[in-house]
Amino acid sequence: MSALIPDKPGEAAHNAIDTARHLSGGQMAWYRFSRNPAALIGATIVISVFFAAIFAPWLSPHPESAGAHVDFMNRHSAPDAQFWFGTDNVGRDIFTRVLYGYRVSLGMVVGVLGVAVPLGVVLGLVAGYFGGRTGFIVMRFTDIMLAIPPLAMALAITAVLSPNLINAMIAITLLWWTWHTRLIYRIVRAQMNEDYVEASKLAGASHFHIMFRELLPNCISAISVKITLDAGFVILFGAALSFLGLGIQPPTPDLGTMVSTGSEYLPEHWWEALMPGLAILYAILGFNLLGDGLRDMMDVEL
Amino acid sequence: MIWYLARRAFSLLLVFLGLAILIFVIARIVPGDPARIALGPLATANQVAEMRTEMGLDLPFVQQLWNYLSGLARGDLGKSLLTSRDVMSDIRHALPATFELVLFTIILQIALSIPLGVLAAVYRDTWVDNVTRIISLIGVVTPGFVLAIILQLIASYHLTFFPITGRLDTALNFKADTTGLLLIDSILAGRWDVWTDALRHLLLPSLALAAAGVGQVMRITRSSMIEVANRDFIEASRAYGIPERVITFRYMLRLACVAPLTILGLEFASLIGNAFIVEFVFGWPGIASYGVRTILHKDLNAVIGVVLVSGVFFVVMNLFIDVLLGIIDPRHRMREASNT
Amino acid sequence: MSNFDMSNLILDISDLNIGFSTYGQYKQVLHDVSLQVGDGERVALIGQSGSGKTVTMRAIIGTLPVPPAKITSGSILYRDTELLTLNKRDRNKLKGTGISIILQDPLLSFNPVLTIERQMRDVIRYADVRLGRKRSASEHQSIMQSTLRKVQLADTDRILKAYPMQLSGGMRQRVLIALSLLNNPKLLIADEPGTALDVTTQQEILTLLNTLVADEGLSLLLITHNLGVVRETADRVYVMEQGHIVEHGTLEQVFATPAHEYTRRLMDSVPPLYGKRVRTVTNEHDVQSAIQIDNLSKVFTRKTGLLRMQRVNNIAVNQTTLDIHHGDIFGIAGESGSGKTTLARMLLGLYEPSDGTISFNGDSVQALAGSEAFRRKIQIVYQNPGSSLNPKRTVAQQLSVPMIFSGERKTAVASRVKELLSMVELPESYASMYPHELSGGQKQRVAIARALSVKPEILVLDEPTSALDVLIQNTVIELLLRLRKEFNLTYIFISHDLSLMRNFCNRVAIMFRGSICEQGATESIFSNPQHAYTRALLSSIPVISDEEATQKPTVTAAEKAAVLATSTAVNQ
Repeated sequence: MSALIPDKPGEAAHNAIDTARHLSGGQMAWYRFSRNPAALIGATIVISVFFAAIFAPWLSPHPESAGAHVDFMNRHSAPDAQFWFGTDNVGRDIFTRVLYGYRVSLGMVVGVLGVAVPLGVVLGLVAGYFGGRTGFIVMRFTDIMLAIPPLAMALAITAVLSPNLINAMIAITLLWWTWHTRLIYRIVRAQMNEDYVEASKLAGASHFHIMFRELLPNCISAISVKITLDAGFVILFGAALSFLGLGIQPPTPDLGTMVSTGSEYLPEHWWEALMPGLAILYAILGFNLLGDGLRDMMDVEL
Repeated sequence: MIWYLARRAFSLLLVFLGLAILIFVIARIVPGDPARIALGPLATANQVAEMRTEMGLDLPFVQQLWNYLSGLARGDLGKSLLTSRDVMSDIRHALPATFELVLFTIILQIALSIPLGVLAAVYRDTWVDNVTRIISLIGVVTPGFVLAIILQLIASYHLTFFPITGRLDTALNFKADTTGLLLIDSILAGRWDVWTDALRHLLLPSLALAAAGVGQVMRITRSSMIEVANRDFIEASRAYGIPERVITFRYMLRLACVAPLTILGLEFASLIGNAFIVEFVFGWPGIASYGVRTILHKDLNAVIGVVLVSGVFFVVMNLFIDVLLGIIDPRHRMREASNT
Repeated sequence: MSNFDMSNLILDISDLNIGFSTYGQYKQVLHDVSLQVGDGERVALIGQSGSGKTVTMRAIIGTLPVPPAKITSGSILYRDTELLTLNKRDRNKLKGTGISIILQDPLLSFNPVLTIERQMRDVIRYADVRLGRKRSASEHQSIMQSTLRKVQLADTDRILKAYPMQLSGGMRQRVLIALSLLNNPKLLIADEPGTALDVTTQQEILTLLNTLVADEGLSLLLITHNLGVVRETADRVYVMEQGHIVEHGTLEQVFATPAHEYTRRLMDSVPPLYGKRVRTVTNEHDVQSAIQIDNLSKVFTRKTGLLRMQRVNNIAVNQTTLDIHHGDIFGIAGESGSGKTTLARMLLGLYEPSDGTISFNGDSVQALAGSEAFRRKIQIVYQNPGSSLNPKRTVAQQLSVPMIFSGERKTAVASRVKELLSMVELPESYASMYPHELSGGQKQRVAIARALSVKPEILVLDEPTSALDVLIQNTVIELLLRLRKEFNLTYIFISHDLSLMRNFCNRVAIMFRGSICEQGATESIFSNPQHAYTRALLSSIPVISDEEATQKPTVTAAEKAAVLATSTAVNQ
């Protein structure tokens, strides 16, 4: 059988490669990224999704389909030149609804991560930096939160609060920070063994300075990879909620709801569930490829 | 080892208590009156007040918490509004189905992802690596519900061998009452027809449930194998002439499986979460589909019960993995023993 | 004792060329390397990290990853067998039985999850499989026992049952040697043997290696950067620089009259322990006390047991009294675990003493710690600048932290950063660079500048040169001497490197198991050590000339036994 050989050929080889290239860390990282086709595809997909969401009103061929529009003439029509992704049970253009659906999905990503990431990062920094009893309490609390199946909890919360976009976002946010807390806690605990933390303390630096100016910059690459990967999963999560009828409510175009409604007309009107399903897959794929590429490029472990 | 187990069991108890309190607190601080939610918007103020008394909502919060916890200690989770039975007995009834599904899924995940991850690492940067990478990517990016629907579609038209809903053909007339797990009880009863039918029912839902985890664990197995390959002792073993097969499977894999197993444990929460969708789509009579139904009916007692049981599932699973890691890696055991 | 005989070679490398291709670039790493080891001979390959010595070793033992490595030409003969073209089966037969290795870091070279017994048994068992031999488990057992005794380990049963982490560093190194000997190899390749260990333990390991080579009739190829180690264990030497063998010859030739400029630089960079090259540093100031350490103790308490009720006390520093004078370079020497780092951390106010006091002319450290006045009194330079500088902040940002928190104005900070950089002889343009853009020596200069930014009176130097390449070490030492003179600094120099200490400190204290066993002027301690431990320590230092070796103190076996822990106890 073939041997699993080490990828570190030895210091001499590394020095040889480094001196040969004369590249700074940043240039090296960019070189690695640009030579990684998967990452480039991921970046392209993510950009196209953002583009679609931002310019949906101008890009969509049938803007009226974004709302509670009804066109019985064109019900259940298969994909063709006029309706690229076909139409749904009330004759709305699925392509248009997918573009608008990305708006909702990305809005959710920004809303959820915009709150969950800072919260998780700050808690992780505090727990990791102070350690001891503070760290113990924060991390035990996080561990307990992690034990709750996120989808079950989100379902329960949205059900009780009445299902809509904002409540779905609150429910997801309430659980999402835990992952960032864990990640940052782990990184900070490792960094606490580095002498620069003690050196800063001896230099008289404040806790705030050490946490946010010394430790946080060392977490940034891990955070950015995690955010990229997270974006895909938030989209998936939101779609799953609306698939069960507990997320965004009609007529707001939402990819999960579209899959759910469309699946009632399977298999003869396959495009009604498949197209939005593929649209979700496309976005998640993009964020995943990009996240993996960034991870390789910045050499971080999550 | 005994001390280690005792300590883990003790911390399990604490986590369980914390979990119970946390879920209860969340259920109470979420805005909205549970009594009003239970009765619906048409109920009169009087009816709501009566309901509040019946549910114990007029008591002070600490008293409510105490009643809830002491009920829990007796195994009493209150009454379900949906089925008007004890939530505990509903859950006990539905639990084996979920347990069987989840257990089978985990076994499937380990059986698929770790060998594929090792393969990808050994044949790094060859077509084998690329193929496994694509498989893992498909697993990770395909939403559970989309995969479930696709599998159902395929099953209903092309692979009619696989049933698309339920857990067992009712015509078989079999009741699993020894362990509750069909695959085991059927063997105990010597009913092979039941066993194959149960397996047929089980395969598609567990595949839909396993996909995301398989993708992730496979990638982690791969990267942790590569990481271990860089360690000095691997080079030493090669220099002493230990065969490559032994180095890969006994030396490297043993160390490299620590990370994927840890992730498997952590991802278990999302697996249970995904079970809500998969059970719903495949009409699987487990606690997750019970959960979805009670959630849609705003049946608060049942919802709390289901979330709690899912949490316990997670905690027990992670305890199991922890013990496993302790067996695999003596350092894990010793670290736990020397600090915290 | 050189018995080099061209007709009787066990290893003959000739014109070996190896390159690596990564990121689409090809770079040659070894250039026409030729090296011979005679039967029963001890040969050293000397080189700095990155010189290509590890690649050479891997090519010999057959663990070179191909690709990315590519052997373009040359040959490696083991006796009369060409290793580079040998088929895999026969190549594998030689592993461990013909050629065997002893790896560098004793902990990393073990599989952490298997017991020593399992690791040793595997090595024997698979050798049997390769050679088609059949031996019983009890035969294996007796081979393991006898090999462990060969490396002078007594408590073989307990060692076999232990996991690597349960053994001490010295014992691990012995077990590693035992592992390499299990299948009776003819050629032993040792990669930096014992250099990660304390000098006294290292000395024992080197003695053991020499004994084994003589008793078992082995040949030894030693790969190291430590010239002192080479002098004690080699008959002939090869010097490697950037993939070229720049010089070779007998030990006496090369060490007495180094021909190549690189070899001379290497020799010069080793601080002498005795002889006329030694520099004696003095303190020209009036004897005026700067730090008073009085009866200082530190006890660490660890709680163990299920309910954390039992307490285990560990006395790290025991009733230590010291008086450090203004202008001193005060060396605190000791091996790992001697308590020297704990003492330094108490000086910096990072640990609270369990008993006793530290004061700066009446102001106690405990009262001052954390205050601005305290920071202006004492600062530290750490061992590893890779760790003490934040990789994600620029040089200027890091230099300004101490000043910002001393309330300096922004403009003042900016001009002070420039001043600091010129003080440590770095160009101003480095202010905007990140640590990874600097070399190790430059990083350490930045760390020194940071320590000096608030103009402290005392600097604690915690092994400030041990993470640096030997060729760089001297420049940093020179810088520190210059700064001391310019700014009237007092240094507390913590190190295990006594040769360096001899040339850098005016007074030293030797720490042994938490206590100071001897202190005084450097010159007198080195020329006339009183305590048995000091003598054992000095006599263990590998030096590079006979002149120094003869001046080392002698220590009797009984004294050695009393002060050195050659323990074979297994930690639980």
